[in-house]
Amino acid sequence: MANPFSRWFLSERPPNCHVADLETSLDPQQTLLKVQKYRPALSDWVHYIFLGSIMLFVFITNPAPWIFKILSYCFLGTLFIIPATSQFFFNALPILTWLALYFTSSSFPDDRRPPITVKVLPAVETILYGDNLSDILATSTNSFLDILAWLPYGLFHFGAPFVVAVILFVFGPPTVLQGYAFAFGYMNLLGVIMQNVFPAAPPWYKILYGLESANYDMHGSPGGLARIDKLLGISMYTTAFSNSSVIFGAFPSLHSGCATMEALFFCYCFPKLKPLFIAYVCWLWWSTMYLTHHYFVDLMAGSVLSYVIFQYTKYTHLPIVDTSLFCRWSYTSIEKYDVSKSDPLAADSNDIESVPLSNLELDFELNTTDEPSVSPSIFDGSTSVSRSSATSITSLGVKRA
Amino acid sequence: MRTSFLTLPKSFLGFMPLYLAVEIVLGISILNKCSGAYGILALFTGHPLDFMQWVAYLWSVFTLIVFSQGLYLIHKPNLLVFSQICILYTVDTIFTCFFTLWFTTQWFTLENPTDFGSIANSTADTALRTNGLSPIMAGKLTARSADKSGQSATENYEYSITIFITLASLIFRFYFNLILGSFVQELLHHPKYLVDRDDVEQDLKNKPIWKRLWAKSQKSCYRLCKNLLE
Repeated sequence: MANPFSRWFLSERPPNCHVADLETSLDPQQTLLKVQKYRPALSDWVHYIFLGSIMLFVFITNPAPWIFKILSYCFLGTLFIIPATSQFFFNALPILTWLALYFTSSSFPDDRRPPITVKVLPAVETILYGDNLSDILATSTNSFLDILAWLPYGLFHFGAPFVVAVILFVFGPPTVLQGYAFAFGYMNLLGVIMQNVFPAAPPWYKILYGLESANYDMHGSPGGLARIDKLLGISMYTTAFSNSSVIFGAFPSLHSGCATMEALFFCYCFPKLKPLFIAYVCWLWWSTMYLTHHYFVDLMAGSVLSYVIFQYTKYTHLPIVDTSLFCRWSYTSIEKYDVSKSDPLAADSNDIESVPLSNLELDFELNTTDEPSVSPSIFDGSTSVSRSSATSITSLGVKRA
Repeated sequence: MRTSFLTLPKSFLGFMPLYLAVEIVLGISILNKCSGAYGILALFTGHPLDFMQWVAYLWSVFTLIVFSQGLYLIHKPNLLVFSQICILYTVDTIFTCFFTLWFTTQWFTLENPTDFGSIANSTADTALRTNGLSPIMAGKLTARSADKSGQSATENYEYSITIFITLASLIFRFYFNLILGSFVQELLHHPKYLVDRDDVEQDLKNKPIWKRLWAKSQKSCYRLCKNLLE
């Protein structure tokens, strides 16, 4: 069937190549066989024990009826055990864990929550960045800027993860979506844990109440998004933010974290459009501060969290991108980074000129060895090579410290 | 033979290769330096900035440009560029310490936490309050009572966390500086990254003056790094 899909996406597909194929089986036996053969590494143990503990914690603490919780977990288990659904849902385990914890966060008893800080963020912001940048950007407002800020913060943020996932799946190398789910899920999960462990008031709180003490009976505020509600004649954001699951979850900003993660994955797969993705992150940062939802330090915490997790994912999970290829079906194989081979400081055994001086035998020249001195001979095979390199290096003014 | 007066870390956190660490260090630094660009937007919003804030923001934008070069070259490093980054990063560390002290004084004197009135009168405050959607006005908030006091952080807790975050960021900053120094030291010892001065001189002919000045600064940084690290 020469449909548009085949014409566009499968035209470059190498013959007999199955790296981009999806699992279509519905037989749970296949999954069970895989599990039997699976030999987890230490990092896998840490990964599953960590996520499993949080899922167990959510299972116990979530106030929903037990029957509903049991049915939900059984449903998830079913999705995990059927190969066709498992390839998506099991890889999305960090995302599912984050969502489970996020929606349970509002039910934690007030007396067990950590105390809410209202001065830490504005103080740290001033100390590290010279002023409250949210104050600077929200000093003057108008309808045009309101709309400009609302687009990334109130609209794109919620749809972008799905759009990015679809584009990565189609136009990125096979398995890149797994890496995205891992990095995106962990970033949000760690972010929500931090928000619960370190509750902090956002800029709108300071605007409404100064630095007065906060408590958990308080409702959230839509901040600058209230102006959008007014402009559009709705109360969507006022209602949503007033009843947010994590009202005092300013630190870190997961808006910033998500945008950074999406931009990093896009920059990784489509490097030619890097300026566009960087511009989107800068736009979203501005909008969060303009709408008084986050301090700059929150944005940094979110972005740094994303960046560190992305770097880890890149070197441990992600396939290497070939920018000359069109889509996932164009790939013939999946290659991953070799951290030691990619090291620019590593010695290349095939290139004697690039061997670090620390690996060369310079003792004869530096005369620092404790061994008895041996006169160099023209018959010294390997030494003569080292000496040659060392001499040429010395002539250029480089010496081993 | 000279020896470096500093013992620099040979890996990141004891197990990661230096180039991965430099990638992380530069990435985090670049993200933080974006603050300068947002601070400068005060020009358009009308928010007043004092002299030290202007210096801090302009310096941030300058360092942002310098550090950005490094991320593009991390897998094919250039000794001149990384020498410049290393020296600039060190100068930036000194500046950061100074700015931290200066702005800490500002926060604890000018923005006295007990002076709520000045904060509540900001323009942004007016903009938010005039919408008539304040939770207090809407009657959605519960007034803070004595039994709720345990839910808010004490003065000591807030103060301690503020100091902790500030000091932690400075400690990381020093460590990152050592990592960069170590990376440049390794580049200096690696024959693959030797700098051929004649080539550099040759390349500069017929180039615009700013490019020549830029290259001159890189060469000066390279010489300084050689003296300090080799």
